[in-house]
Amino acid sequence: MAYLTQPDYVKYVCSCGQLKPITSLYFCRHCLKIRCGFCICHEVDSHHCANCLENMPSSEARLKKNRCSSCFDCPSCFHTLSTRATMAAQRQAQDPAGGDAKVENKQTKKMYYLSCFNCRWTSRDVGIPDQSVASGGWPERTNPFLSRYNQLLDYYKAIAQQEKQEKLERERKKFAIRGKYITLTDKTGLTGAMARNIAGLPTSESGSSAAIASFTPSQASAEVDELPDDVYTKDVNLKQITSMSQRLASPEWQPSSVSRLHPLAKLLSIKRSQRCRVCDHNLTKPEYNPGSIKFKIELLAYYHVPEVKIISYETVKPGEKSALLLKLTNPTGHEMQIQLMQPEDLPPVEEREEPKSIEKSLEKSLNLEKDTSSYRAIERVAELGSSSRVTAPEATLTLAQRDDAAEYDDDAQQDTSDFILWRKSNKLALRLEVTTDAAATPGAPARAALALQYSYRNTVPPAPAAPQQAHHTLYTTLLLDLGVVSG
Amino acid sequence: MALYEGIALIQEKQAVVLDLGTDYTKFGFTGEAAPRCIIRSEFWCPSERRYKRVYDYRTPEELYDNLVNMLHLLYFRHVLVNPKERKVVVVESLLTPTLFRETLAKVLFTHYEVSGVVWADSPRLCALTLGTPVSLIVSIGAREAEVCAVVHASVVLRALQSQPLAARAIHDELARLLDEDNNTELHLSEQIIEDIKVKTCFVGNRERAQQWADGPAPTPAKSVQYPLAGRPAITVSGRTRELAAEPLFARDNELASLPDIVLQCIMLCPIDARRALSENILVTGGTATLPGLKARLAHELRYLVTQPPYSDRLCIREFKFHKSPTHDNTVAWCGGAVGGAADAGATRALPRDVFARTRRLRDWACLLDNTPPHHPHRDQLDQ
Repeated sequence: MAYLTQPDYVKYVCSCGQLKPITSLYFCRHCLKIRCGFCICHEVDSHHCANCLENMPSSEARLKKNRCSSCFDCPSCFHTLSTRATMAAQRQAQDPAGGDAKVENKQTKKMYYLSCFNCRWTSRDVGIPDQSVASGGWPERTNPFLSRYNQLLDYYKAIAQQEKQEKLERERKKFAIRGKYITLTDKTGLTGAMARNIAGLPTSESGSSAAIASFTPSQASAEVDELPDDVYTKDVNLKQITSMSQRLASPEWQPSSVSRLHPLAKLLSIKRSQRCRVCDHNLTKPEYNPGSIKFKIELLAYYHVPEVKIISYETVKPGEKSALLLKLTNPTGHEMQIQLMQPEDLPPVEEREEPKSIEKSLEKSLNLEKDTSSYRAIERVAELGSSSRVTAPEATLTLAQRDDAAEYDDDAQQDTSDFILWRKSNKLALRLEVTTDAAATPGAPARAALALQYSYRNTVPPAPAAPQQAHHTLYTTLLLDLGVVSG
Repeated sequence: MALYEGIALIQEKQAVVLDLGTDYTKFGFTGEAAPRCIIRSEFWCPSERRYKRVYDYRTPEELYDNLVNMLHLLYFRHVLVNPKERKVVVVESLLTPTLFRETLAKVLFTHYEVSGVVWADSPRLCALTLGTPVSLIVSIGAREAEVCAVVHASVVLRALQSQPLAARAIHDELARLLDEDNNTELHLSEQIIEDIKVKTCFVGNRERAQQWADGPAPTPAKSVQYPLAGRPAITVSGRTRELAAEPLFARDNELASLPDIVLQCIMLCPIDARRALSENILVTGGTATLPGLKARLAHELRYLVTQPPYSDRLCIREFKFHKSPTHDNTVAWCGGAVGGAADAGATRALPRDVFARTRRLRDWACLLDNTPPHHPHRDQLDQ
């Protein structure tokens, strides 16, 4: 059970040990394990602008520094700016009172400016001239420090180049093959120089050394930025000084006065695809179209793992038994056998040591990338910390497959069993008993851990060589939040 | 477009530069003059339903989770690139706790599978932006002011000075002065205090500071009414505006004020580097942007050097200051971007496979890394 604004009452234990509600879990059909956002690999799939929903290829996005070329954010409140059109009078004087519309149209021109509908900031406030085209054409500012920065960059690149060359030189000297005959070119590297000369290229060293020679280090001065003289006498207008977030929104300029705020080109958004770290299969892959919220691949746990919801529960008291009503749902299109278990009765997660064929080990040795050591590092043991036990009936429950048409049937079937409250197509309500530890401190959160064993039918077409196995018995552990232990 | 993609595949991917500050995180690409984003070092924690700061941790696991969440935010919300198979330049303080470094390495290498990490200390990166052989880096950040002498691209470690004289000290003093101004306990949030500091505070000159201390008090600057949401506006008096940063310059017998540690750092350096150091000072860090702070530091230095115990031990009389080619709060980041681009992260990076094998980082404080090759104990360490 998961909510947007309320705490999550039922949490599942992910295969990496994290506790998450079912809505934020994934299910890898290839490993048959639950995965979560923490233990999967996120990848940037495509870039788009969230405002104009324009797709941008990643190479273009890189060139444009991940900013949209036509949408802007307000530098004052970070709301999206809107383009406003006005009729601006042309230079030549015109009679304001008279003249029909046609004449006026000729003399006025549509001009555009940017305006924020949230805080009423406009691009006119800071003296940006209006534009004659609706989108684009806004003046771009360059970083005031850019030229000095590029000098530094050239200087250090030249130094790195030199360093590299010296290293190569040393290597060459170390491993120089001493032939019978010592030639002049061997020792002096004359051939390289000659080849460069013939090709009309500058000699290799001169480029880097010129950059090094022409570099001037920063000059220190005894003068420092003194306080302005009027600082003790001037009134402070808080509205004229930018806040930290306004300054840091444009790291290149960091304006300290409101009059120097410029529109911020809107940062692009991305669609992410997710990949299982262990088997490298995609778990989700979004559609390319920015307007679409659908997925091409969508292996969410919600579609594969039985969902447990709490219908109601009695107040949990230390050392006493209380009733708990649960609802189980089978989201898959196949019949499912479920058995409730205690978490400690789960079979240990067996290391799936595949039969070591020569091919496999060869593949493993060739493909070092696929080594799962990184996944191991992320795994941890979940801390369940439950004070209550759910008394699990021994019986195996059968849940019918999900049937969208059955949603319209009204009659809940009464089952004969004493712990099944009702059944309805793929859903099942259970009455269970919760035994609380006598040592539970009143006021502490009451949690009950529960394990599920369920049958799962794998619908992935198996690889030709792999053994045909579609039916699996899987396990999952979940933690039920039963309020607080009452005193 | 296909052509460009092809080129991108052959080329080394542009590395990213990460400067995880206590308050603000700077993140961007190498070879660029400014970071792509400067954001607060905090993320929304859904389980605790609050913004959680990266540096608030009690256990190594919690730190690991914090860093995973923070880097996720940086990579996928702000810079929008795949972390996989891309190099990272990490800008770190020389005094970063080992636990933090090692956890960050684990997160980068195993969780985000970056191909290599360049671990670079901020004083040397700051010195890179100047290009001078000798420089004295005074970096005033969120928690600590650090003074480092960088002589020919190596830090004089024994002269390293650090004192908790930075933004936090100013915030505490400002909160105290505001309570005094308004005669109540205001309990303002850290963000509001910061906003008041940024918008109103400045550092007055030396003479005025002395007048405030010994009386008669000078005419204060204009006071400001600062509006608060849902509460009456508070008064920020001229005295408060001027004296908020005074703890940085308050001297006592410990001689641990900001100008004192600068002079002590110079004093601990080799004698032939001292004059060059005093003539190549760079004041950086977010707190250095406070109006008047650099001027006040210069005046204090020029005065203190004529006083004992410095007057008989230091023969320098001149202090010169540099302007770095970027904003004060991004100097170290900028150095990382220059250094990372020049080197292309090729030679100085710790590659992923090496980390996977050795599982340790080089550290200047570790005997394994700082014992010279001919030292008698070297053989034992190598075993």
